[in-house]
Formats: sequence, C-alpha cells, structure tokens
Amino acid sequence: MTATTTASTRRKVMPFLRRHTLTLYAMVAFAYLFIPVLLVILFGFNDVSGRFNYSWEGFTLDSWRSVFLGAEFGGVPGLFDSLLVSLRLAFLSALGATVLGTLIALALVRYQFRGRSTTNLILFLPMATPEVVMGSSILALFLAIRFSLGFTTLLVAHILFNISYVVVTVKARLQGFDRHLEEAAMDLYANEWETFRRVTLPMIMPGVFAAFLLAFALSFDDFIISNFNSGQTVTFPLYIFGAAQRGIPPEVNVLGTLVFLVTVTIMLVNVWMQRRRT
Amino acid sequence: MSTVAQEAAPTTRGTNWRRKLVPYGLLLPGGLWLIVFYVVPMLRLVSVSLQTGIYPRYRFSWAWSNYAELVTNYGGQAVNSFAYALSATVIAFLIAYPLAYFIAFRGGRWKNFLLVMLLMPFLMPFLLRTLSWKIILADNGLVVDLFKALNLLGEDGRLLATGVAVVAGIVYNFLAFMTLPIYVSLEKIDRSLVEAANDLYASPAVAFRKVTFPLSRPGVVAGTLLTFIPAVGDYVNAVLLGTPQQFMIGNVIQSRFLVVLDYPVAAALSFTLMIVTVLLIIPYVRASGTEDLVA
Amino acid sequence: MAAVTDGGSGLPGAGEPPAVELESVTKRFGDFTAVDDISLGIEENRFFALLGPSGCGKTTTLRMIGGFEETTAGIIRLHGEDVTGRKPYRRMVNTVFQSYALFPHLTIFENVAFGLRRQDVSDEDIKHRVGEMLELVQLTGREKQKPRTLSGGQQQRVALARALINHPRVLLLDEPLGALDLKLRKEMQIELKRIQNEVGITFIHVTHDQEEAMTMADTIAVMHQGRIERMGTATEIYEDPRTGFVAGFLGASNLMQADVVDASIGEVVLAQGTRLRVSADQLSGEGRRVRLGVRPEKIHLTPADSPVEGNALAGRVIDASFIGVSTHYLVETEPIAQLAVMAQNLDDRRFAPGDSVQAVWRPEHTFVVT
Repeated sequence: MTATTTASTRRKVMPFLRRHTLTLYAMVAFAYLFIPVLLVILFGFNDVSGRFNYSWEGFTLDSWRSVFLGAEFGGVPGLFDSLLVSLRLAFLSALGATVLGTLIALALVRYQFRGRSTTNLILFLPMATPEVVMGSSILALFLAIRFSLGFTTLLVAHILFNISYVVVTVKARLQGFDRHLEEAAMDLYANEWETFRRVTLPMIMPGVFAAFLLAFALSFDDFIISNFNSGQTVTFPLYIFGAAQRGIPPEVNVLGTLVFLVTVTIMLVNVWMQRRRT
Repeated sequence: MSTVAQEAAPTTRGTNWRRKLVPYGLLLPGGLWLIVFYVVPMLRLVSVSLQTGIYPRYRFSWAWSNYAELVTNYGGQAVNSFAYALSATVIAFLIAYPLAYFIAFRGGRWKNFLLVMLLMPFLMPFLLRTLSWKIILADNGLVVDLFKALNLLGEDGRLLATGVAVVAGIVYNFLAFMTLPIYVSLEKIDRSLVEAANDLYASPAVAFRKVTFPLSRPGVVAGTLLTFIPAVGDYVNAVLLGTPQQFMIGNVIQSRFLVVLDYPVAAALSFTLMIVTVLLIIPYVRASGTEDLVA
Repeated sequence: MAAVTDGGSGLPGAGEPPAVELESVTKRFGDFTAVDDISLGIEENRFFALLGPSGCGKTTTLRMIGGFEETTAGIIRLHGEDVTGRKPYRRMVNTVFQSYALFPHLTIFENVAFGLRRQDVSDEDIKHRVGEMLELVQLTGREKQKPRTLSGGQQQRVALARALINHPRVLLLDEPLGALDLKLRKEMQIELKRIQNEVGITFIHVTHDQEEAMTMADTIAVMHQGRIERMGTATEIYEDPRTGFVAGFLGASNLMQADVVDASIGEVVLAQGTRLRVSADQLSGEGRRVRLGVRPEKIHLTPADSPVEGNALAGRVIDASFIGVSTHYLVETEPIAQLAVMAQNLDDRRFAPGDSVQAVWRPEHTFVVT
C-alpha cells in the first residue's frame, strides 16, 4: 500500500512542483530584490546614537523625529542641504535634457536628413560608455578650460548623460503618433506653429513627461559622474558616500526612505494614469 | 507627350529650402551639447593620456608608457575588474532569466504589476541599497552563519571585504539591466510558436531549448552588454563592500584623477576601458544597425 | 494626354470656373512617377470619385489637391485661383482622412470646432454651429466625449462634421469608408450622398471599390498607373469602358480579339471564324484588329440547338454558381476559355455543368476597347 501511495503522491507532487517551481523561484527572487530595500527602511528606526548603523540595537522613532522636526536635524550637518542640492540639480538637468532631447527626437522621427547614422551613434555612445570614463573625461575638459567645479559643472554633466535617455523615451512615443493628425490640423487652418502647439505637443506630452521623470531619477541617483565633477558641492548620493567611511546615521536612512516612498508614489501614479488612458 | 506646366509656383521652391533646414535646427542645441561635452572630452582624453608631467604641468609627449601602466602597476585591479564583472554578469544572467521568463510567460494580467515590482527596489538610492549588503553579509549575520554551517566558509571566514561581497553588490545593483532586455525579448515571442513546437512532438524542455531560448537571444545579448560594461567600470561596490585588495580599475581611475592627480595615467586607463567597451559593442551595432540603437 | 473634363454635365456653366482644376499635374517620388501628367476639371456641386486599384495615384492626387503633397509639375486651381504650392491651411478645402485623424486629446466638441477656432469665430457662433453640424450627422449629445469612446462609424461622422462645419467649397474624402463593416459601409454611402445633396458642395471621393464609386458618384475618373484612363458617369464608364483596364476593373469583361470585316456595318470576325456584329460607330477610327467585350449580365444562355438572334457563341457550361439573386455561369467557348455569364433567376431554366449552350447577346451591347 505504501509503495503505491508514494508513487501516486509523486505523480501528484511532480506536476505541482513543475508548475509552481517557477512561481516559487520568482517569489524568492522578488524577496531577494526587496530585502535590502526593507533593511534600509528598517534601519531608519534603529536606536543607535551616533554613526555606526550596522547592527540592530532597538526600535525608535527618534531619527524620524529629528528629520521632520529638528530645525538643524540634531547634529547631522549637511544632510538636508545635500538633499536640496540633489533636488535642484535633478530638476534643472531633467528640464534641460528634456528640452534638448525632445527636439532631437522630433528631428529623428519626423524628418529625413543626412547624418542620421552619425546622430544615432553619438546618441547611443553615452549610454554605453562606462560612467568612470564619461565622468573623468568631462572633468578633464573642465580642468583644461580652468572652469571651477561645482553646481554648474554638475548640471552640465547631468544634462549630458540624460539627453540620450530622453531621446529614446520620446522617440518611442513619437513613433506611435498618427501623422495624419498633423495634416488634419493643417487642413483645418492651423499653421505649423499652431499645429505643434495644439496637436503635436499635447499628444507627445505623456512621453515627454515620462522622459522628464526618468531624467530626474537618473540625475538624483547619480553618483560616479557627480563624484568626478562636483568640486565642493555635495549632492545627496555624495553625502552618503562620504558618510559611509565615517558612519551613516539613521537620519540618512530616513531620508532615503522618504525619497523612496515619494518616487514609488510618483511611479505608481504615472502607471495608474497610463492605465486610465488606454 | 506632355507639356510640363510653364511656371512652377515660386512658393514651392521657397518652402523647400526652409523645410530642409528644420531638422538641423532641431538637432542643433542638443547635438552641440553632445559634441562639446561628450565627443570633444573623449577626444581630449586620448590626448591627455599621452602626456607626462606632474600636476598642474603636463606636456604632450606621446607617452605610451602611460598605457603600459595598466599591466605593470595595475594588473591586479584589471584582473579584478574583469573577473568580478564577468562573474557578476553570469550570476545576474542566471538569476534574471527565470525571473524574466516568469513575468513574460506566467505573468498574464499581472505583467505590468510585476514589472513595477521589479523596478521598485531600484528607486531606493543606489548607495543606501548597496550599504544594506554590508548588513546582510555582516560577520555576525545570518548569511555568514549559514555559509559557515554549510562549510562554505571557514571558522573565521568573512564575506565582507572579499570579492564575494563585491560581486554580490554588483549583481544586485545591475539586475534590472539584465532582466528587462531579456523580458522584452521573451515577451515578443509569439506563443503559437511554442505551441507549434509542442504540436511537432517537442517536450516543454526541448521547445524551450530550440525555440524560446534562441528567440530570446537578442535580449540576452543586450542584457549581458548592459550589465558587463558598467560593471567593469564600477568602483562603488568595491569601496563599500571590499578593501583595497578588491579594488577594480574604476577605483584606480578615480584615485588617480581625484586624489593623486595623475591625469595622464588615469586618462590612459580610462581610454583603455573605453576601447574595451567599444570592442564589445561593435559586433552588436553591426548586427542591429544604427537605427535600432536609440530604440 | 488630352485634357479630360467632367463629362457629366457637358460644358461648364458660362463663365464659371470649375471647382477644382488640375493642369498637367505630375508627382514624382524619386524615380517613381505616382501621378503622370493629369489634367481634369471638376464642376461645382458634383459628387466626384477617383477610382482605381492601390498604387494608381488616386490618393496622391487627392493629397495634392488638399496641399499635403507638393506637385512636381503642373498647376492646381480651386475656383479659378492658382493654389499650387499653398499650404493646406491656406486652401478652402477640407479633408476627411482614412483613419479619421480625430484629435484624441480633445472632446468631440473641440474636434468639430477646431477649424472654426482657427478662424476666430466667436464662442457663441461656434456653439451654435457645432450643434447644427452634430445634428446633421446625427451625433447630438456627444459633445463632451472623447473620440476613443465612439464606434468607427460614429468617429467617421465626427470627421465629416469637423470638415463640413468650415463650409469648404470642396470636400476631399480619402477612402473614408474603408474601415467600416459591410452593412455600415452601405449605410454611410447613402448618408454621404444625402449630405452632399443637402449641403450642395463638391465632394471628391477616393476609393478602390467600384461598387462604392458607382453608387455614390455623379462622375467617376478611373485611374491606372498615374493616369486617368476613363472619366464619365457610372453608366458611361461601365457600358463603354474604352480600355481593357477599365473594362476589367469595373467587372468581368469577357474580352476577345477580332478582325474587322466591314466597318460600315460593324461586322467583325473572330479567330475561329464566328462572325459578330457591333454598332458601326464603335469601329470608326479603329484599325483592322480590335478587342471586343461584353458584360456578363448582357449575355443570355439558350440550349445548343435553339434559334438565336444577334451575336452568339457556342459553348459548354463548366461552372454554375447559384447566388440567390442570380446564377453565375462560366462557359467554355472558343474565343474565351471562361466566358462569364450572369443570369437573373427569373425562370426555372437553369443550366448545369456539361450542358451545351449558346451564349447570346445583342450587338449594341458589345463594346470595343483599345
């Protein structure tokens, strides 16, 4: 009796396993992806005074309090400033890259011109270049023209690496665009500028906005290129890196968690809005 | 047979002129930016790499010896870069492929949700995420204890400050770059192809080997390149999770540029890295043509 | 090619320029000539169709009239005014696009009002006119909706309203009914014809469907490889196609080669010796060899030995398809391997494959093509 039971159990178990191994694996993989993130959030609640936040001491809301309520963040100088720098930098560089990149995308999709392959190549290379190489080469340029390193150099570098990503995003959106819509607008007495303003631009806006968000995120999180070109200016990632050698207080985790939550919310809202549109 | 109209309307010729210039006008601002801040610096990098001298005085002297330093002085770091990047890419591939497969083939209605879930961890700042691994791989942590129990580590073995930790960090940080292209490739596969294979007596395993996997190759290639290339040039993981023994070429470049201020050698190393990158992507570009590069 | 003017009404009204005039218009894309030196005039208040297979240049011609393509050569005039080279927004024509091209980010109201807004019409006027127009196309009440919530047929009517509201003097329609299912298409064909009558402007309709063209248009121009091969009313071009292409495009043509015996009485002889008669005027100006055709519905089948009057070909039925309204036969004859015959199912006399028959028709129903 036992022999047949084992055999029949195996017959039931094997297909179950086969079908569900992949699912189980995926669950493990997702856990693997999220655990480090959860740790960051968790250690924002770590009851550690001072800087070495690597082992769990106990639960406290002190760090959260100090971030929200403490005017000078109770002895974590420079942290909030670095966050502001990063936000400002991300916003401006995303704006610049989005404008430049959208124009390029329009040219690529709408027009035939000579030098197309070269343009595509020059757009692609920055995405494929290792950040060390890009960061160091821009640095060398700034040094050669004796331009002092700081926010401006950061801004220039960030716009640079973002342009290609903006082009890719906007181009994808433009290619799905019905050309006849512009012809219809002109048929209905709108000249080129009016057509662009009232038909083309509104229609590509979601793509342009998505590109802006992408550029913002890439800029905010950038470390290597910023490391090379920041001079004395400290962005949020640079702050963390600097602090890593000396010890990272929980307040940093708190801010990181906040950044995470905000970006997640923005992404979810964006996704939800996309679903509503289709 | 036909008499062509005598006068072509002058407006036609006028608008043609302006129309031809429009695309160039659109390209100009962004293109100029790219040329000034990407192309020119890249070219300068070559020139700097052939200079000698001590900061701040350098002079151009065809100093090929700068390039030789890669082998003479920094051979260890070069090996590290290559070894870590390669291992990380392989491991990332092994982790990412089944995950991508799962989302593409078993995702169903949840595909978009799963993709969002896949990308979400990467919204946490990169450095903080990496530092978490310091906690996970800590000497008195679960993982180290587990490894010790399985005899993978000796009594006073560590994971932190070893190549293992660095590779683990690299894998984690670049996983999305490996998974997404594979997912996109798999997603495009026409399901009826797999059904056809089954219809022609192929078991699921064989169908995967002969139909699904080959068709996902473009994604695998893209993912591999997108992971390996940045990994080779990375230095953050080595600093945060390792010791100078684990330093990679990226670390050398960083210190040569920002600390020691030995620009020529740093430039030489940097340019070498660039050459390696270009060599890796040439076959890829050749295969897919330039139009598809920018999507 | 000699100027082909609108055959329908004969001469244009005294002093009135035609609504649309093309003079030696050519369009080349690189090496490829899409439109080859066409000249034509279209009268006011006419439902005009440009008919032809894909790639014949009909859409390119329409787009040139609308201003979306520049002419390589030639002049386009609208109501006597030379508009060659002018942008679409400077021409008093409007277009209904094949894909409707409704602006997805605007409401139906804003879509229809788009052209009016560009012309600085007051808000009140706009509201009034949009309401009127939506009533004309039977879509009142949908002002606030977005295009994607409407069905294909409804979207098409919005596109029509959006164009007509601007009181264009000419309306261009680029295969507007292509995306609709059969029943809806038939309904819309009648609708469009009704609207054209009511509004009283010239419609230029591009289509590849000859049934559609014949149903709706007053005048049809059949295009082939960039040229206009035949222009006239539906009856004229169907019964008197004049070229082999037009004959075949509008239906089965049953073409056969013949030699002229006596042009004055219209007698010809086929290769195998059968003599046929055609109207004498058909043969004037033709050489010794001619090609003849006869429409399937003009042919009447009779049993092999019965007496016949008129033209007759002996043959054997190889296929008989009962379609309900009619029966379609394929008859094997000497000059034509598969002679197409269409018989109305009036009486019970039906033939089956294998039957020996005679295909009979009246001489005046024969047409001659070049």
